[in-house]
Amino acid sequence: MSDELARWAAERAPALLARAEEEALIVLRDALVAAALGERKREATPPSPPPSGPAPEPEAGELVWAYCVMSEGEPRPAERRGIDPGSAVQAVEAGGLVALVSRVPRAEFGEAPLRQNLNDLDWLERVARAHEAVLDAALEQSTIVPLRLCTLYESEEGVRQMLEHEAAALREAIDLLRGRQEWSVKVIVDPDRLSAEAHARSEQAQAFEHELEGVGGGGAYMLRRRLERHLREASESLARELAHDVHGRLEERALDAVTRAPQNRELSGHEGEMILNAAYLVDAERVNELRDLVAQLEAQHETLGARIELSGPWPPYNFVPSGAATIA
Amino acid sequence: MEASGLQPRQSNRLPGRPNDPANLADILERVLDKGIVIAGDIQINLLEIELLTIKLRLLIASVDRAREMGINWWESDSSLQSVEDGNGGNARAQLEKENRELRERLDRLERLVGEGSKK
Repeated sequence: MSDELARWAAERAPALLARAEEEALIVLRDALVAAALGERKREATPPSPPPSGPAPEPEAGELVWAYCVMSEGEPRPAERRGIDPGSAVQAVEAGGLVALVSRVPRAEFGEAPLRQNLNDLDWLERVARAHEAVLDAALEQSTIVPLRLCTLYESEEGVRQMLEHEAAALREAIDLLRGRQEWSVKVIVDPDRLSAEAHARSEQAQAFEHELEGVGGGGAYMLRRRLERHLREASESLARELAHDVHGRLEERALDAVTRAPQNRELSGHEGEMILNAAYLVDAERVNELRDLVAQLEAQHETLGARIELSGPWPPYNFVPSGAATIA
Repeated sequence: MEASGLQPRQSNRLPGRPNDPANLADILERVLDKGIVIAGDIQINLLEIELLTIKLRLLIASVDRAREMGINWWESDSSLQSVEDGNGGNARAQLEKENRELRERLDRLERLVGEGSKK
C-alpha cells in the first residue's frame, strides 16, 4: 500500500513540480528580464574599459572544453579555432567515441571566474555562439551528440574517462540521431492582420457595427467596448487554431517534436507575435517534404498575416534522449 | 559545393529579417537548457547552472504575452492541453500553493548559492 503511494507520488511529482516551476518563473520573469537587459544596455554604452590595475591573482593554466561527441569513424570538421581563439578544436578518442574539445584559459573558465562570467550576457553570448559554431561545423558531415555549455575538464585524460564511462548512453544517443535532423519552426503573426481577419470572419462583429450606426453617447461607448472585446477573443482563438494546426500537421510528419515557450522579442528580434516555437526531428532524406509542407502551410494561412520560419539543421539539442543525460 | 568553414544555416527566412544568422534566443535556449548533461571536472555547482538555466528561460521566453492570447500549451509540452481545461479551480488553487512552496524553495536555493560563492 505505502509502496503504491510512493510510486504514485514519484510519478506525479515531476509533472507538478514542472508546472509549479513554470508558474513561479512567470512571477519572477519581468524583474529578471528588466534587470538583465537593463544591465546589458548600461554596459554597452561605454565601450568596456580595459581592466585597470593588476587583476586579483588570475588562475594560471588551461582547462579542456568539450563541445560534442561522435562515433570514431565519422569525418572530423576542418581545422578551426575554438571558444578561445588561441586554441584549435581537437579530437579526443576513447571507447570507440570521439569528443571535440579545445583548450580554454583557466583565468576565464575556472570555477570562480566562470561563475561570474555566466552572469554576463555578452560573455555568455560570445561563448554560446562559439560553442554553437563548432557544433554546426561538425554537424555538416557527422552525427553528433551536443554537450551542454560548460562541460569542462582538467585535462584531455578527463575527457577520455568521460567517454569510457558514458559510452553506452552516448552510443544510444548517436544511434537514435543518426540520419536525422533537428529543424526549428516558428509561427509569427501580424496582430493587426489577425484582428482584421477575425473581424472579416465574424458576423457578430459586423452586427455590432451595424447596431453602432444608429446609436450615440453612452450606448455607443458600451457597444464599442463589446466589439473590441469580441475582436480580441476572436483573434486569440484564430491564433490558437493556427498554432495547433501548424504544429499538428508538422508533428504528423516528424519522428519527434518539442514545443517551447515563444521567445522574448528583445533577444530574438522578431516582429509581430510569436505563437509557436517548436523543433522537429526528421529523417535527413525527408527534409524537402518538411520544407514543402511549411510553404504550403504558410500559403494556406497567408490571410492571417502568418509567417512560418523554418531553420535548420540544428545540432539535435532537443532530441538527445533524456535517459542518456547523466549527472554524476 | 564544399565550403570551408561554417556554412550559414539554411532557412526560408525572407531577406531583411533582423535575426541573422541565428538569433541569440535560439542558441541560448539550446546550449544551456538542452544537450546532454555530463558532469565535467570543474565543479560549477550544479545548482548554479540550474538557476542560470531558469533565469535564461525567463529571459528567453515571453510567456505572459502568449498567455494573454490564451496560448499556454507548451507547459504540457506537445499534449496541447490548457491547464484550465480539465480540472478547473482546484487545479489552480493547487498550483498557487505549489507556487508558493516553489518560490520559498528558490529563495532557499539562492541563499545557498550566495553563501557558496562567498567562500
